[in-house]
Amino acid sequence: MAEDFKEMPNNPLEHDKYAPKEFKVLGRRGITRIDGYKKAAGKAIYTRDIQLPGMLYAKFLTSPYPNARISKMDTSKAENLPGVRAVLRYDDPEVFGRRVVTTYGGCEDMLAGYAYFEGQQIGAVVAADTEQIAREALKLIDVEWDVRPFVLDPEGALRSGAPLARPEWADNNLNEVPPSPLSEVFRIGNVEAAFEQADKVIEFKAVRRYHGGADTELPCGIVRWEGDCLELWLHHQHPYEHKWTMHKYLGVPMNKIKVNAPYNGGMYGGWNWIAYSQIATGITAILAKRTARPVKWVFDRREDFVFGSADAMVTYFKVGANKDGTISSVKLKSFYENTGFWAETHLLENTRIPNIEAENVTARVNKGPTIALRCEQLPGCFVMAHVFNHVAAELDMDPTEVALKNDGAEGKDINYLNKFKRKHGFPLRDSLRECIEAGKKAIGWDKKWHPAGAKELPNGKMHGMGFIWSHEWDDNRGAGVAGVFIQQDGSANIVAFRTDIGVNAETTYCQVVAEELGMKFEDVFFRQQDDVYLPLMTPDGSCNLTTNSYVLRKAARKAKRRLLELATTEVHLIERNIAPAFPGMQPEDLEVKGSEIFVKSDPSKRKKIAEVVKDMDGSMNWGLEYAAIQCTTHAPVFAWAYHRQGRYGTEPGRHRLCRQAHFCEIEVDTETGKIEIKKIVNVNDVGKALSPEAVEGQQYGGTYMGIGRNLNEEYVWDPCSGVLLNGNLLEYKWATMLDIGEIETIIVETGMGYGPYGTVGIGEDVATITTYLLESAVFNAIGKWIDDGPITPDKVLKALGKA
Amino acid sequence: MEQDKYLCPYCLITFESIQDLRRHIVAEHKTEPLPVSEGQIKLTINGEDYQIRVEPEWTLYYLLHDKLGFTGTKMFCDRGACGSCTVIMDGRPILSCMTLAIECDGKHIETIEGIAKKEHPLIEEYVKYHCMQCGYCTPGFIVTAKALLDRNPKPTEEEVKEALAGNLCRCGTYPQHLKAVLVASQKLAKHGR
Repeated sequence: MAEDFKEMPNNPLEHDKYAPKEFKVLGRRGITRIDGYKKAAGKAIYTRDIQLPGMLYAKFLTSPYPNARISKMDTSKAENLPGVRAVLRYDDPEVFGRRVVTTYGGCEDMLAGYAYFEGQQIGAVVAADTEQIAREALKLIDVEWDVRPFVLDPEGALRSGAPLARPEWADNNLNEVPPSPLSEVFRIGNVEAAFEQADKVIEFKAVRRYHGGADTELPCGIVRWEGDCLELWLHHQHPYEHKWTMHKYLGVPMNKIKVNAPYNGGMYGGWNWIAYSQIATGITAILAKRTARPVKWVFDRREDFVFGSADAMVTYFKVGANKDGTISSVKLKSFYENTGFWAETHLLENTRIPNIEAENVTARVNKGPTIALRCEQLPGCFVMAHVFNHVAAELDMDPTEVALKNDGAEGKDINYLNKFKRKHGFPLRDSLRECIEAGKKAIGWDKKWHPAGAKELPNGKMHGMGFIWSHEWDDNRGAGVAGVFIQQDGSANIVAFRTDIGVNAETTYCQVVAEELGMKFEDVFFRQQDDVYLPLMTPDGSCNLTTNSYVLRKAARKAKRRLLELATTEVHLIERNIAPAFPGMQPEDLEVKGSEIFVKSDPSKRKKIAEVVKDMDGSMNWGLEYAAIQCTTHAPVFAWAYHRQGRYGTEPGRHRLCRQAHFCEIEVDTETGKIEIKKIVNVNDVGKALSPEAVEGQQYGGTYMGIGRNLNEEYVWDPCSGVLLNGNLLEYKWATMLDIGEIETIIVETGMGYGPYGTVGIGEDVATITTYLLESAVFNAIGKWIDDGPITPDKVLKALGKA
Repeated sequence: MEQDKYLCPYCLITFESIQDLRRHIVAEHKTEPLPVSEGQIKLTINGEDYQIRVEPEWTLYYLLHDKLGFTGTKMFCDRGACGSCTVIMDGRPILSCMTLAIECDGKHIETIEGIAKKEHPLIEEYVKYHCMQCGYCTPGFIVTAKALLDRNPKPTEEEVKEALAGNLCRCGTYPQHLKAVLVASQKLAKHGR
C-alpha cells in the first residue's frame, strides 16, 4: 500500500534507519510537559477524587486468616444497617462458582468463599451511602471460618507433609501455571564439564524477601449504568482492555462501554493487582446494577498490601570462572513464592557465558500473589548481580573488568553482537564500555575502588564502592492505533486513548507528531484520558514509547501528506470552486516547518497551516450559529495509523544491544549497621533520548524505588499466625529524600534501540536493577556478603558478628 | 412587636439594636451570644470565609477534598506517613488527614489551590524541573515547600531536604524538588511575592 510508509521497519530485528539528521522538537530540553501545571497546581483529577451524584461506596470483606474457608456467613445485620444499599455475597447467583479471566490470562474467582492469604478480599461486598457506613457494615458480618494450616516459605511448601496453600486449586504446592516456568531444567552447554575446567568454582545461596506495595493513589474504580450502557472511571493501566473484560464478565457489548481514564496516582505494573482491580470493577458493576446507583469501590492502605514483586525467591548458585575473569559455567536452582520467572534470562541475554543450567521451581505459599511489579526482570537482575559480584570478589578483580570480559549474548562474545549490529543496520558502538567509562569517571572509580573491607574512614565507618550492569530492556511488543486531526484553526490533536502513568508520554507523543508534521510543539495537543475508541499501546513493558511513537510517526506522516494535498487541490463547493492555497503546485513541491507550509524552491512563498485548513467560504466567521451548522467546506485533515511492534517481548534472535551501568559509593556504620549512600551514578544507554528530562526522571525515580527496596522494603508476616505485620507506610518503608546523598545521571545515546530514531525504553530498567546495587558495595565495605535482601542494619550487624 | 431596648445579660447595659448588643458581648465578654448549630465551624480557606456544619469524625482532609472540592489535597497513606494531605494552617504545615475538621474553627487554611492562584514561583519551577511523574504527591510537596519558604525564605539544601523528608514520592522525583525549591527561593528573594 503506497501510504504504508516503507520506511517503517516491519521486521522487529531491524534498526530504524530513517532518523532525521536534525531534530526540531524531539530530544530538546525545556519542552513544557503537558501535565506539569495540572499536577503541580492540584488540578489533575484522579479516580479517587471523583464523586458522582448519588454515588455509593463499596468495600470488600477481607480474610483475617492466611488459609481459611467460609463455612457459614450471616450478613443480615449488615444488610439492616441504615445507609447500606446492597450486600453481595460469594454465594449469590451472579458470582457463585464463577471464575473469570483477566487481562493477563489469569483465572480468578469473581468473589471467592475461601482465602489463601491474610487480608484477601473475599466473601462479601457492601455498598453503602458512605465509606464509613460500608466499613461499619463489614464489621457486622458474622463469619464462621474453617481455619486451615498455612505455609509461608517456598522450600518448606514443597516438602512432603507441608500444608496445602490452595486446597481448592491443587493437591500439591507446585505452581507451573503460566507465566511461571515449568520446573524442568534449562540447559545450554555442559556445566559440569566446565566446572572441571574452571580455575575457581564457588557456591553460595542468595535470598530476596517478598516486597511490593506500590501505588500512591489507593486502589479504586467507579461504575455507572446508563440503561444498558456502562461507564467506568478507572485507576488502572489498561482502560481499553476493561471493555473486553467487562464484556466477558457482564455480557455488555464493547460498543456500549465508555471508559474514562483519569490521571493515575502511581502505576508500576503488578499484574496480580491488575487482575484484582478488574474483578473489583466487575463486582462493582453488579452492585451498581442492583442499586441503580453509581458505585465506587475503594481500598484503604492496608487492603492494598495484597501483592508483591516477582523476585520473592531463594537461589542456590554454583559458578565456575577463570583467572582472567571469564565466567565459564553457572548452575542455578531457584525457589519462588507464588509466581516464578526464568532466573537465567539476563545471563543469556547479556553475556558470553557458554554453559548455563537453571531450574526454576515455583511454590504456592499463603501470601498474596506475586508477579511483574517494575518488573518481571527482577529475578534476572537478582541472579546476574550475584553471579558477577561473587566472581569479581573471588578473583580479586575490578568488577567493571569482569563485566567487560563477559559482555555478549547467548553464550557468544561481543564480536558476535557486532556482526549482528552490522547485519541489521545498527551503529557499531560498544555500549557497555561507553557506559562503564562514563560512570567510572563520574564517581571517581579508579581512585576510590579498593579491595573488600580495606578502607576505614576517619569517621570510623567503612567505605564501599558498588557496581551493577545489564542490558536496557524494552520488551518491544504490543500494538496501537491513533489518529492525527488538524482543527480549523490549524491546531492538531492526537486522537487516541490511553492512560497516564506519569512518564511524560503525552508530551513526548506530541513532540513526535510535531516533529514529523512540521508543526510547533505548542500546536499539538493530546488529552489521552478521553475515550475516543482508538487504543494506543498500554504503558507496559517499558515499550509503549517505542510502539506508540511508531504509530504516531506513521499517522503524522499520513496527515502531512493530506495537508499538502489540501494545500494543492482545488476545492469544489456546490456553486463554485475555490483555488488551492498553493495553485499549480504538487504536494512534493512543498514542505512544512514551524507550523508553516512553504514552497521548497522558494521558501518566501509560505502560508500558515491555519490559513490552509480553515473553512474556505468563511462561514466560520458568519456567526456562531452558522458555524455550527455549516461546519467545514472540505474534508478535514485527518489520518490514522496502526503499528504492531514485534510479537511479544524478545523476538527470537533479537538481541538487546544497549547497556546500563550503575555505580555507588557508600559508608557503613559498623556500630549501628546503617548504610549511608553518599553517591549514585546512573548511566543508561537509551539509544536516543526523545525527552531527556523524562529519561532523567526515570533514572532518579528508578533509583529511589530500587534503593528503597534494597535497603528497607519487605513484607513481614507473623510466622505463628500468618498475618502481615507491616501493611502500612510507617512500617513498610519507601525511600525518602534523605536516603540517598547525591544522584548523577548520565544519558548515553548510541542509537542502538529498536524503537523509532533508535530509542529504547527505560521505564522499568533502573528501578529493577538498582534493587540489587548495594550487595556489591556492602561487600566492598565490610568484606562480608549479605546475600539476603533487603540489607537491613540487623543483617549488617549479624554479618559483622555483632548480633 | 419590635423591641426598643436590648439588655446585656452579663452586665445589664442596654443597647438600641440587637447588632450593637451582639458586638458588645463579643468584644467585652468574649463569647458568641447567638445560637450556633451543633458542629458548625467557621474557617478561612485560601482567603475566603466558609461556614459549614461538620460531623465530629470528619477529618480536615475529608472536609476539604470530599465536601468542598479542594481535590488538590491528596491522601494516600491514610495515617500521617506520606505528607500528601499537607495544608498550611495558621502558617504551619499540617497533615489534614490527621486533623479533625471540628477542631479547625476560626483557623486560616491554605491549600495548593490557593498557592497556585497566587502564582507562587514554586508552581512554575516544579513544572520546569519535572518534579512530577504520576503527580499524586506533588501538591503535598509544594504546600510543604511553601510553608518552608514562608518561614525560611533562604533555606539551604539541607534545610529543604529536612523539610521535605516527610513527603513520600513513589515515582522518586526527589532530586528535582530540591532544585525547584532552591530556584523558587532565589526568585522570591529577587522579585518578592
